[in-house]
Amino acid sequence: MLAYVVKKALQLVVTTFGVVTLVFFTLRLIPGDAASAMAGDTLSGEALQRLREQMGLTKPLIVQYFDYLRALAVFDFGETITTGLSVAGLMRSAMPITLSIAFSTIVLTVAVAIPLGTLAAFMAHKGRRALDNLITGAAMVLDLMPGFWTGLVFLLFFSLTLKLFPASGDVDIADPANFLKRIALPVLVLSVTQIATMARITRTSVLEVLGEDYIRTARSLGWSELRVLFRHALKNAALPIVTVVGLSFGSLLNGTVIVEFIFNIPGIGSLLVNGINSRDYQMVQNLIIFYALIFVTINFATDLVYRKLDPRVTF
Amino acid sequence: MTISRRQVLSLLAAGAALLGFAAAAPGPAAAQEKTLKVRFYDDPAGFDPASIFRIENENIAFNIFSGLTTYDGATGKIIPDLAESWETEDNLHWKFNLRKGVKWQKGYGEFTAADVLYSYGRIRDPKTASPYAAELANIAKIEAPDPYTVLIELKSPDGNFLHQVANYHQGQIVNKKAIEDAGDKVRWNPVGTGPYALDFIDVNARIILKSHKEYYKGPAPIDTILFQIIKDENTSTIALRNGEIDLVMRANREEHLATLQKEGFKMNKVENYAVALKVYNTAVKPLADVRVRQALAYAIDYETINKAVAPSLQFAAYSMLMPWMDVYSDDIPKYKYDPEKAKKLLAEAGYAKGLTIKQLSTSAQGVTELQQFEIDYLAQVGVTMKMELVDTPTFNQRRNAGDFETATRLLPAVNPDMILFSYLHPSNISPKGLNGARYDNPKLTALLEGARAEVDPKKRKAMYAEVQKIAMTDLYYMPQYANNVIWPSKQKVTGVKINYLAQVNFYEVDVK
Repeated sequence: MLAYVVKKALQLVVTTFGVVTLVFFTLRLIPGDAASAMAGDTLSGEALQRLREQMGLTKPLIVQYFDYLRALAVFDFGETITTGLSVAGLMRSAMPITLSIAFSTIVLTVAVAIPLGTLAAFMAHKGRRALDNLITGAAMVLDLMPGFWTGLVFLLFFSLTLKLFPASGDVDIADPANFLKRIALPVLVLSVTQIATMARITRTSVLEVLGEDYIRTARSLGWSELRVLFRHALKNAALPIVTVVGLSFGSLLNGTVIVEFIFNIPGIGSLLVNGINSRDYQMVQNLIIFYALIFVTINFATDLVYRKLDPRVTF
Repeated sequence: MTISRRQVLSLLAAGAALLGFAAAAPGPAAAQEKTLKVRFYDDPAGFDPASIFRIENENIAFNIFSGLTTYDGATGKIIPDLAESWETEDNLHWKFNLRKGVKWQKGYGEFTAADVLYSYGRIRDPKTASPYAAELANIAKIEAPDPYTVLIELKSPDGNFLHQVANYHQGQIVNKKAIEDAGDKVRWNPVGTGPYALDFIDVNARIILKSHKEYYKGPAPIDTILFQIIKDENTSTIALRNGEIDLVMRANREEHLATLQKEGFKMNKVENYAVALKVYNTAVKPLADVRVRQALAYAIDYETINKAVAPSLQFAAYSMLMPWMDVYSDDIPKYKYDPEKAKKLLAEAGYAKGLTIKQLSTSAQGVTELQQFEIDYLAQVGVTMKMELVDTPTFNQRRNAGDFETATRLLPAVNPDMILFSYLHPSNISPKGLNGARYDNPKLTALLEGARAEVDPKKRKAMYAEVQKIAMTDLYYMPQYANNVIWPSKQKVTGVKINYLAQVNFYEVDVK
């Protein structure tokens, strides 16, 4: 196990270095830079060149690259090019917000999708198609609704019509009641799609194991249907579900970008979009490293859970 | 910022309970102090006059700083600000008599002529690398014989010099000590002499301005202005309808404006704020022929398009200048819709069989409704308009380099000379400046330079009129529309006058 962790950690360092280098040069290959992104309609020529100097964009690329690596080695994420603010500071205030949204979404999704999927599988197994079709059909429709559209509909309905949640305002964890009110709608929007996917996967994998011998054995022992379903069937069907939960965390981080824009939430997704739009290399580089770390960590955690669930899995 | 374990647990528990979560009652009514909540539409990028960009940031700076002159919100005319009066006889030597007893915000003492010298020097200093240095490059000598007088001698006469010292960009006066105290965070610590001072900023959420109690005209009627960052216009419209904000800084979507108007919100508005021009790159073969350029203008019915696409936001325009500008002339060729004439001109130019033109635009905007109409109208005279969509920074870079066939540009300005010089003077041919059409007509250049130096207002006006006539005949730039800026608000918000730089002087704004 220790050897495994060490191997993983080494992989992580190499991966990070690769990501850093790739991102650094790719970003600079894209036409346009922070100066031209900012200057918009009004500046060009010499004035623009002055702005470039001000932003430190006129240094040779290789010098910029080593400057960056040197700073990164001591965990100095530097300042944004466009606003001159601490990247680490911006990430520190944005991260808890995005992670709260992602986390709440996963909790809500698991709480709703797994029972629903299991129920659908059970009904299908029993040959009672009506409820199964309803759940599967609804999941399909929800899955097809794009996030930005659902977001807008929720905003119109829950905020404008019902006045339940505000459309704007501060998002501050120090004020939990207000914070929850502000992240409620984004969490709902993200959950809708996630629930659809996870319910379908749960249904499929539970349905598969329901036909197995050990389920029949469990039933013949006279255990209740519920116990058979949740203790035996679900436990054995869990592997693909865990994979999906792990993977969905990744897609969730993408999803937050859209909902953060619509619901005007100052999270990591907003930082990333702004960084890309304004060609703020410093901001984007560090955010992408952060994303890469999250993905690697989630993968690692999924591996560990796998092992716990199925001792036959080896690394 | 750290989260305690308890908060994490409560968050997790709440995650599952969110569906049943209902909103609490709205907060208590505001205290005696007046607060105005305004939608701010993008991430703030800082408020240092030497490097400030974009209208939303300029709006903040406009209320924090002052210039020697400023613009009247209703008429666009130049009026006194830090200078009570000024004198010049030749547009070369300028004397400014400064207001006495003006106080800096945040306890930085009294404003004097030394601050003016420092501010202009800072802009012109190559170390500052200010993009606005060129605006003050014409200054040969500047001195302060006493604390309330500034004498400026220019290198060449400039009848538009009062625009350069207005409360805008390089004209905004800063305080030396405040700049030094702020170190490398000048843009986030603006200290000025204007009606409002910066109190707090969280670049991801809000900007708070507080009334500057020692403002030279007396304190502003509103104590606190809270700018809430809301990027999506759908959201900001809902926030206004929900009563979460009082005023929307710029609404740009016709459907939202219609809804708000129907529900009885106030539509604060400035018309003909700036003109959108289509830039013809004449280095490209067909566009080098004036008959082709004129044909393209005759082929498109902008009058009808603008009425259909955005009747409250766009009007048809026929000139590079705005009717409210003091040197505007109506004696110009106007290209009203005439497809037959367009076909005839194309045939004369040797394109009877048609031609293809590429328009550079941003993928963020996509193909706009206006462009869809343009494509359709041009097709009717045998011209194929192809769209080239790239992302915004790429677009900006290519447009500045002059690397396109046609593109559009909208340059807001109160100073007509700045528009004409930027677009038409050979010294500004891309990539050096905004003259992306590569216009270089010696006759017009001479007129333009002559008008700038001319002291007699009558003669000056006549020269500018001639410039406009020639420019619209040669048609290197074709007006598509003049646009309006609209800031919807609750009825109780008064005095929102948007000037021709799309700025609002919050000193005049009140909440009844």
